[in-house]
Amino acid sequence: MTTTSLARADVAAIERVDADRCAITVETRSGTFGFDCATSETLLYAGLAHGLTLPHECATGTCGTCRARVMSGDVEVAWEEAPGAAKLKRDKGDILLCQARALGDCVLRVPSDVAERPLRHQIPAPRPGVVGNLQQLTSDVVHFEIVLAEPMTFDAGQFVVIEAPGLEGGRAYSMVNYGRDLDRLELVVKRKPGGGFGDWINGPLASGANVKVFGPLGRATFHPDEGHDLLMIAGGSGIAGMMSILSRGVRERYFETRKAKVFFGVRTLADGFYLEDFARAIDAGGGNVEVTLALSHEDAGRLDHPDFPTVKLAHGFVHEIAGEAMAGAYDNVMAYIAGPPPMVDGAIRSLIIGGVGRSAIRYDKFG
Amino acid sequence: MSWTYLCDASEVAPNTLKLVDAKGVRIIVANYGSGFRAMPPICPHMEEPLDESGVIANCVLTCTKHLWAWNLATLEMDGAETEKPLKTYDLKEEDGRLLALVDQELTYDFDEEDDDDDDFFGKG
Ligand SMILES: Cc1cc2nc3c(=O)[nH]c(=O)nc-3n(C[C@H](O)[C@H](O)[C@H](O)COP(=O)(O)OP(=O)(O)OC[C@H]3O[C@@H](n4cnc5c(N)ncnc54)[C@H](O)[C@@H]3O)c2cc1C
Ligand code: FES
Ligand code: FES
Repeated sequence: MTTTSLARADVAAIERVDADRCAITVETRSGTFGFDCATSETLLYAGLAHGLTLPHECATGTCGTCRARVMSGDVEVAWEEAPGAAKLKRDKGDILLCQARALGDCVLRVPSDVAERPLRHQIPAPRPGVVGNLQQLTSDVVHFEIVLAEPMTFDAGQFVVIEAPGLEGGRAYSMVNYGRDLDRLELVVKRKPGGGFGDWINGPLASGANVKVFGPLGRATFHPDEGHDLLMIAGGSGIAGMMSILSRGVRERYFETRKAKVFFGVRTLADGFYLEDFARAIDAGGGNVEVTLALSHEDAGRLDHPDFPTVKLAHGFVHEIAGEAMAGAYDNVMAYIAGPPPMVDGAIRSLIIGGVGRSAIRYDKFG
Repeated sequence: MSWTYLCDASEVAPNTLKLVDAKGVRIIVANYGSGFRAMPPICPHMEEPLDESGVIANCVLTCTKHLWAWNLATLEMDGAETEKPLKTYDLKEEDGRLLALVDQELTYDFDEEDDDDDDFFGKG
């Protein structure tokens, strides 16, 4: 008797779960794949969590890279005004996978090559976490941490998408740390005037708040076995991922044999942060690590930082300063670029003109 | 079929792109050092304006948006991330004038009405 009723309860539970999950079929240039998706998760996250390398960059509705066409089935679009959706052919059923949820079984088409598993990176997953250890680094830059309910393994250079209570949609933030089975993410936010997350993290509700984290994401990652010299060009908070790359390099004594050149763009001297960390990395690098703080809106009238003299100063846009300093010195370089899209595009342009191959360029656009 | 004047060859410096209006059709003229190409004004990937996002080095045109690239001498796709070929107009140079055979405006298939599977996947 007892056994029977338990079995019935199990069946009921399974049926309930199944009713919430939709079977998704994706036709791609490299074959047809299937995964299932809860009605509460976006198609992109469900597919990525299944291991599929669906095309994406920002994972948050701005870049448009994750477009797909709905061939059959119903989907719900969370953020109609997403900037990345501006060019979609909506009348043909085109959607952004990162902004759409399935309402039932669906067949989708994705105009790209897709693999069944990421080659090098971890398969991302959703995890709950709690925000803490907030620290103001400059007038508009805040360091914060998230303690995860389940540990996460991620490479130097990766990012996560964070959903905060009361805010529509997720925001992408790059980790300043890296490692295996970590239960703590270190992150940094540069406040954008009027920005939802920036206002929230600077407000009274952030400390101790429960958030949802999806990740790890991103392919602009550092792998010491590749054996390159490193060039890092970052605008503003784009420095976050570079800090994890630098700290891995220092910890693994990578800079005993390889060089790193960091170009960090901020507006004025007062906007610089992580200067102590840079000074330590320069020290540890024994001449192989160079850091230049590029000031776009101030000429400090000197070539070294007044408080951290091993950090160099320059006046101008960071991608132009990096381009001038690196001209002719790109041999065996792997370039990492992160920051606002115009800065990243400008940096890519000067690298390509400088003869850097595309496979030696890894970037994240923060917009 | 008609050969349409684009611009003078001297107006497009080596390794640059120029957007021209050829009797109402917007065309990009690219000088890759050892020759010229004429093409639609957008990137085949996500329709970015190629005259702004494109950069030419060593005969290769790269779009800085997501690094798709094409060899302008051979018109081959360059690198694994590039998933669609570049379309071009036939082009000739006469007395320093660049002319293209503009029969009808070239577009990319993602855009077209009645597109079938192959069109969507960019193989058509
Ligand atoms: C790969 C990547 C890494 C990044 N790393 C960092 C970092 O380390 N540090 C940092 O400071 N910034 C980073 N950014 C930028 C960051 O994600 C935010 O865009 C920025 O902090 C501004 O957020 P906000 O909420 O203050 O501004 P808002 O203008 O409120 O929101 C900005 C973004 O939030 C999302 N969004 C807004 N409204 C909605 C909605 N209704 N529905 C769904 N989504 C919505 C969109 O993606 C939008 O672009 C990164 C961006 C990317 C793409
Ligand atoms: S990945 Fe969906 S818009 Fe960028
Ligand atoms: S728009 Fe040109 S490569 Fe993506």
